[in-house]
Amino acid sequence: MTETPAPLRDSAFVQALFDVVIPPSDDGKLPGAGSLGLASTLAAQLEADPVFGPPVQAGLQAVYNAALARDPAGFAALPPQARVEVVESQLGAHPMLMIGLTLHLYPAYYQHPRVLEGLGEPPRPPFPEGYDLEPTDPHLLEHLRTQPRT
Amino acid sequence: MANEPVGVLIVGAGASGAAFAWRIADMGLRVLCLEQGPWVKQSDYPSNNIDWESRGMGPFATSPNIRKLPADYPVNEQDSAISPLMFNAVGGSTILWAAHFPRFTPRDFRVKSDDGVADDWPIDYQTLEPYFAINDRMMGVSGLPGDPAYPYHEPPMPPLPLGKSGNVVAAGFQKLGWHWWPSDSAVTSREYEGRAPCINLGSCISGCAQGAKASTDITYWPAALRKGVEIRTGCRVREVTVRPDGMADGVLYYDEEGALQEQKAEIVVLACNGIGTPRLLLNSKSPQHPDGLANSSGLVGKNLMFHPYAAILGIFDEPLGGRRGPTGCSLWSHQFYETDRSRGFVRGYSFEAVRGFAPAQTSLWGMARGFVPWGEGHHQGFARIYDRTTGLLAITEDLPEEANTVTLDPELTDSHGIPAPKVNYRLSENSQKMLAHAVERAKEALTAAGAVETLAEPLMSAAGWHLMGTARMGKDPKTSVVNEWGRAHDARNLFIIDGSIFVTAGGVNPTSTIQALALYVADSIKKNIETLFD
Ligand SMILES: Cc1cc2nc3c(=O)[nH]c(=O)nc-3n(C[C@H](O)[C@H](O)[C@H](O)COP(=O)(O)OP(=O)(O)OC[C@H]3O[C@@H](n4cnc5c(N)ncnc54)[C@H](O)[C@@H]3O)c2cc1C
Repeated sequence: MTETPAPLRDSAFVQALFDVVIPPSDDGKLPGAGSLGLASTLAAQLEADPVFGPPVQAGLQAVYNAALARDPAGFAALPPQARVEVVESQLGAHPMLMIGLTLHLYPAYYQHPRVLEGLGEPPRPPFPEGYDLEPTDPHLLEHLRTQPRT
Repeated sequence: MANEPVGVLIVGAGASGAAFAWRIADMGLRVLCLEQGPWVKQSDYPSNNIDWESRGMGPFATSPNIRKLPADYPVNEQDSAISPLMFNAVGGSTILWAAHFPRFTPRDFRVKSDDGVADDWPIDYQTLEPYFAINDRMMGVSGLPGDPAYPYHEPPMPPLPLGKSGNVVAAGFQKLGWHWWPSDSAVTSREYEGRAPCINLGSCISGCAQGAKASTDITYWPAALRKGVEIRTGCRVREVTVRPDGMADGVLYYDEEGALQEQKAEIVVLACNGIGTPRLLLNSKSPQHPDGLANSSGLVGKNLMFHPYAAILGIFDEPLGGRRGPTGCSLWSHQFYETDRSRGFVRGYSFEAVRGFAPAQTSLWGMARGFVPWGEGHHQGFARIYDRTTGLLAITEDLPEEANTVTLDPELTDSHGIPAPKVNYRLSENSQKMLAHAVERAKEALTAAGAVETLAEPLMSAAGWHLMGTARMGKDPKTSVVNEWGRAHDARNLFIIDGSIFVTAGGVNPTSTIQALALYVADSIKKNIETLFD
């Protein structure tokens, strides 16, 4: 079994970085991605992704190191704007970092029960309860009834 | 293990194989179907889980090259503008299909006579009409009778509700005075023969856990099994074997344990779809059929047709119900279906209204399109498009061209070492013009419906849902592979019943017509059984 890469094992780093990617919403309805405990899911997905896994992991390591170079306390200790700057400073050398990371992080975030609730969606699988659908507008049907038959 | 010879051996348990098996079962012959995939449990479908969107992109992805399940074979699509999509299991691609269920129109069968292009079919709409009706009953179709684009027919169930997005789009078409009609849909709108009604899961294309969508594992197969048809799963056919006289003798297949088995049969029927069937024929070389079975015309694997699709999306200012509802079943339009040479192309296309995106799909689509950035602005970007989009798919008629092919890849094989198919497909100029026209018209319709912005994917590459033409039917053995009732010209006891035998593609989804053909071929065999082997 391969080991989870160092940055993804550092929960303070993960939380701070994921919150940079998807911060909490201003109205407080939607959590930041860092607070959802997605690190192990993401680590497993990146491990299994031969295309984006390696460049994302390399990029994460670079962000991790760049933050340490800036502040020995690491990425999580930086003020919000500085965190963004550190991430951006690495994108030139690691152009796949954000593409690959969001490709995995966005779906994980938007299928989390707390996020679904924040969006006003029921936090459950579609089956077995299903959903209601607006009926067909009777005026539209009325129009169809006047069509000539073939 | 010695396998008892059977009367009828069907390869492939998808849309066509299932319909055929049910129809042929009462002929008094032993009927066996070999299927490389398994039975899929409804409890395994993604929509049983909260992360259904991710699961739909993995083990239930529409491309076998992404899924890579044991039942799948790889397809070399490197030289194809469109990726072929399918599912390999009992039910075949109907496990994942959207169940949008238009029939071909009468004119689709005579494009040469009407428009001077491609070829006429050797059969017509009237021949298939009774089979369309039987098939609608067996699959369970919901729809509204009276569409002026079609000869009058009555689907067995009332139409599905359009939902908010369908109502909005329909109003747009109406405003422009353009044809639209609620789709015929192979989805239950009420309880139907033991199937529960649709509850709008919105996950049709990763399997219907409710059983409301008509995949043939829950429609035809139970009925066929009750009639005594046997189905063996996990059995991948390597080749069709032939007798010294060149007639089909049976097949060689790998069973579930990977052991090579021989199965003899009086009649062999191929239902492996427009990619799998030519692959199997080309893999069945013998001294009697040196270029592959049934290939004296050289047309096996040629004339591959997809339907080139464009996707056009509108962004609206109001909530539209998101993904909820049957994904691809809402309404259709035949406004631009027939040839109008002033448009600069021949033949035409239909529109199919689709629904919006679920949350994860919204985020990914939004990211790709630059709407949903990471960091600041993320939530505003997401909110702008979430539950605010709906769209149209344009399904354009692809005309047959011999250069669009399925051949055998010289290197790529499946897990049994059987040569895999290679697809070469190039978009014709006619299709390009048609797609461009469709994009503009769809934008017009969505704008009329109230869209504040429209966006288009002018050619959807991951949209090879419809696989047709690679073993076409016709009366002349020099220019076709099977005759007008699906019998191979070169082997009188070999039949093909899937989309391979299509002469032209129409501008609508093909499965209603594929299944009607399969039923018709079954009845033709019954009718001609006395002289079948003469
Ligand atoms: C995502 C998606 C959405 C779609 N939506 C629609 C829609 O809305 N409307 C519509 O009309 N059509 C739709 N289609 C297309 C529709 O599913 C197909 O037209 C239809 O299923 C084709 O039927 P078939 O019998 O030819 O092949 P399939 O249903 O593909 O079945 C072929 C079967 O043969 C088996 N097989 C192949 N080779 C072998 C072998 N060597 N040995 C043993 N078994 C073998 C396969 O495992 C498979 O089960 C969609 C398809 C997809 C993938």
